[in-house]
Amino acid sequence: MLWLPHSGHAANRSQSWRIDEAQTSIAFKIDAVGFPTTHGHFGHYTGKILIDFDRPAKSFTNFTVDATSVDVGAASFNDFVKSRALLNVERFPTMAFASTQVEKLDAHTARVIGNLTMLGVSRPLTLTVDVETNAANQENAVSFTAKGTIVRSEFGMTFGIPLIDDAIEITVKTRALNDE
Amino acid sequence: MNEPAAIWPLPIRIAHWLSAALVISLLVLGAVMVFAVADPARRFELTQIHKPLGILALIFTGARACCRLCSSAPKIALTSRPAVLAAKAAHLALYLLLFLMPLSGWLMVTSTPIRIPVTLFGFVDLPFPLAPDLATYNAARTTHLVLSIALALMVVVHTGAAMVHQFLWRDGTLTRMWGLGRSPDPRC
Repeated sequence: MLWLPHSGHAANRSQSWRIDEAQTSIAFKIDAVGFPTTHGHFGHYTGKILIDFDRPAKSFTNFTVDATSVDVGAASFNDFVKSRALLNVERFPTMAFASTQVEKLDAHTARVIGNLTMLGVSRPLTLTVDVETNAANQENAVSFTAKGTIVRSEFGMTFGIPLIDDAIEITVKTRALNDE
Repeated sequence: MNEPAAIWPLPIRIAHWLSAALVISLLVLGAVMVFAVADPARRFELTQIHKPLGILALIFTGARACCRLCSSAPKIALTSRPAVLAAKAAHLALYLLLFLMPLSGWLMVTSTPIRIPVTLFGFVDLPFPLAPDLATYNAARTTHLVLSIALALMVVVHTGAAMVHQFLWRDGTLTRMWGLGRSPDPRC
């Protein structure tokens, strides 16, 4: 996905890192009028992280999320979020993000631009990524916190607007391990 | 001429107490889910429970009103005309609120832009006869809130009056609704 913020690393080609599932969460939040902010997450996904330390722009990531694994805290609420009105998981069981551009902003921040495919529609999505390295173990583990906003109407998900916000804030936390 | 019965017919009495339990539960549930529950998942669950119970209350009130119309009231202990009129007005207001509360709730769920399917008792989908409309929804929501306060107040007035009849005046009015026995009116 990114690079380690120091140079002279031994691994100098885009190298695939393992996603530490215990340290990964794909979460979202959405506001609505007269209703508490809804926080949710997706439990199942597959992903890939390639990190090129020398040429950050060559880094790459993609994630495919199992839409049916959405969890907003209660079975009936999950069923509603999965229904045709929102995620329509019967017809669109997965959502996917694939990066097209990685840009280093500073030593600990990057901008990742990619395509998000949701409800069969692909649109560009920009994520701001905080990169966190553990000083003692920076060659083998990097943590990322990616934040972005999905404008759901762009994907045809117009249900409940304007009572339910058009904007969905997403936060993807993950840790990449280089333990091969 | 026959003397009026001493107590309400059994179906009326059963309907009254079931309706009381249902209506108080709905008032408490509604207030709790809107004002006390901050967790969105719990709020969603409780709201989805509130809706079919509200429709049940509407059906119940309909059946109860039919039953009421075809029964004769037991003898009334009140003697002064203003007291009789006040009691009649209070009961009419209660019946009216019992109809308008679920109807305004139904108007909310059918007019909201956040239309969420409601399955009644596990097998019937609640019909949504109107197109979603924010202005109608907002009006229905305000109406439902105002009526809920009015209904809660009327429940307090009704209970208070029953207590006065029972413990101050000791005129047996509560017994008309509480009394156990055979229905005096075979038509119901």
